[in-house]
Amino acid sequence: MNAPLLPRLHAVTDDRVIARGNVARRAADLAAAGGGDIAVHVRSAQLEGRALLALAEAVRDAVRPHGAWLVVNGRADVARGAGADAVVSGRGGLTTPDVKRVAPGVSVGRSVHDAAEARAAAAEGADFLLAGSVYATPSHAPVPPRGVELVRDAAQLGRPVIGIGGITPGNAADVMTAGAQGVAAIRALWDGEDAAGAVAAFLAALRRRDAATQRGTDVHVQVNGEQRTFPAGITLTGLLAALQLDPRAVVVEHNRRIVRREGLAAATVGEGDSIELVHFVGGG
Amino acid sequence: MTNIAAAPAFTDTPLVIGDRTLHSRLMVGTGKYQSNDAMVRAIDASGAEVVTVAVRRVNLDRSKDESILHHLDPSRLFLLSNTAGCYTAEDAMRYARLGREAGFNDFVKLEVIGDQQTLLPDVAGLLEATRQLVKEGFKVMAYTNEDLITALRLEDAGAVAVMPLASPIGSGMGLINPYHIRVIKSRLTVPVVVDAGVGTASDACVTMEQGVDGILMNTAIAEAKDPVAMAHAMRLATESGRAAYLAGRMPRREIAVPSSPTQGMLG
Repeated sequence: MNAPLLPRLHAVTDDRVIARGNVARRAADLAAAGGGDIAVHVRSAQLEGRALLALAEAVRDAVRPHGAWLVVNGRADVARGAGADAVVSGRGGLTTPDVKRVAPGVSVGRSVHDAAEARAAAAEGADFLLAGSVYATPSHAPVPPRGVELVRDAAQLGRPVIGIGGITPGNAADVMTAGAQGVAAIRALWDGEDAAGAVAAFLAALRRRDAATQRGTDVHVQVNGEQRTFPAGITLTGLLAALQLDPRAVVVEHNRRIVRREGLAAATVGEGDSIELVHFVGGG
Repeated sequence: MTNIAAAPAFTDTPLVIGDRTLHSRLMVGTGKYQSNDAMVRAIDASGAEVVTVAVRRVNLDRSKDESILHHLDPSRLFLLSNTAGCYTAEDAMRYARLGREAGFNDFVKLEVIGDQQTLLPDVAGLLEATRQLVKEGFKVMAYTNEDLITALRLEDAGAVAVMPLASPIGSGMGLINPYHIRVIKSRLTVPVVVDAGVGTASDACVTMEQGVDGILMNTAIAEAKDPVAMAHAMRLATESGRAAYLAGRMPRREIAVPSSPTQGMLG
């Protein structure tokens, strides 16, 4: 029943998302937009077994027609009951051998927060690692983000790594560059009005990143003083889209020259370029 | 006269800067407010038509609700882009060009700061940047010190307004040098708008009583305990000072002159 390849875009729920009551419908929209690239993770700290199983089954029915995965967080029994494609087990949760015993044939992901946890998870035979938080996120506010270094460390272990935590279409390429096989998101996929648009933005970022990898031609750019990676050939329009910035809301300076809005699509970003994106803030 | 409907005796001409006609002589900054809501209500209470804004980097990680344009309506308020924080003519010109590119107008409140502690202007850099920006079609409102010669040179360089300080930016010390401000006003043709240093309403009133064309402030309102109430006070003070100037004050004398008749006293 498992899809052959671990999907690359993971839509992870939390109790905040579940409380809205439309998880299955939204999951169907996400799966319809991304097909086999999508995995929907049913994850709740609050739902008891029966409710969690009901939710998992509803999500399964919503996503499977599109070839997307159902992943259940924590509960191997629920995963087995719902016929999930994978289980993700966290710190203190079932070990990989535990899960395999309870739910044979289900892929096992381990949620890891540092290099030591990643090593332990790989050593016990986890099929993939969910590594985070990569960037700062409101849901893990007290835990400092680990940066792409965590992804880089985890990717050394030879298991597929999915980055999670503060990931957007704008920084997904950086996470992939660090060695991730995919990315996971909560807010960026569940919160906006447009589920299909959010999926498309992520997948476009991943595809641009693929194209650059095939050509072996990333460009490294300073954007507002931060080092960022983009696929070669990206235009300023593409760069703004990747950063989820509205071209009407920013002024762009490219290597110290202002590029007018109408010129953004024709301006290609080169290796080592310096880009400033500014707007108005309060001032005297 | 537009602002005090209940005061028909006071008539004033509008303030014209460049090609802009303004009915409020009070301009306000948008920095340092505790909340955007307080800022919006304070601007409203001030009656200002011109508000200053700064050009800064977009935050790449959370850009959604950060631009001040989410809170200010450019169709109602005239957004005056500043070059605050620039220490060279070159930097100030860079910020001015970026601000103009935002597409609202070709005005700039030009600041070239010369010293971190006092934030006093570097007048050599200011003149250089003014000349160049005027060539590029900018309407330059130049923030300067209370020096007549610099003010005259800025006017010669093509500034559409000269903006001498009352006292250092954010100091709240009020008008330190009323004489110099009067001298500048008396010698310039372009509008003189005092920028920076007022702390409370009486400062604004005294400043306007010198006969200047307008006043710009930020911290005095934004750092007041109640910015909205202070904005209201500043509006009244600005209008009051302007009205008093136009009314023409009585001569100052060093002797007392009785107000009541000296004749008709009881024997």
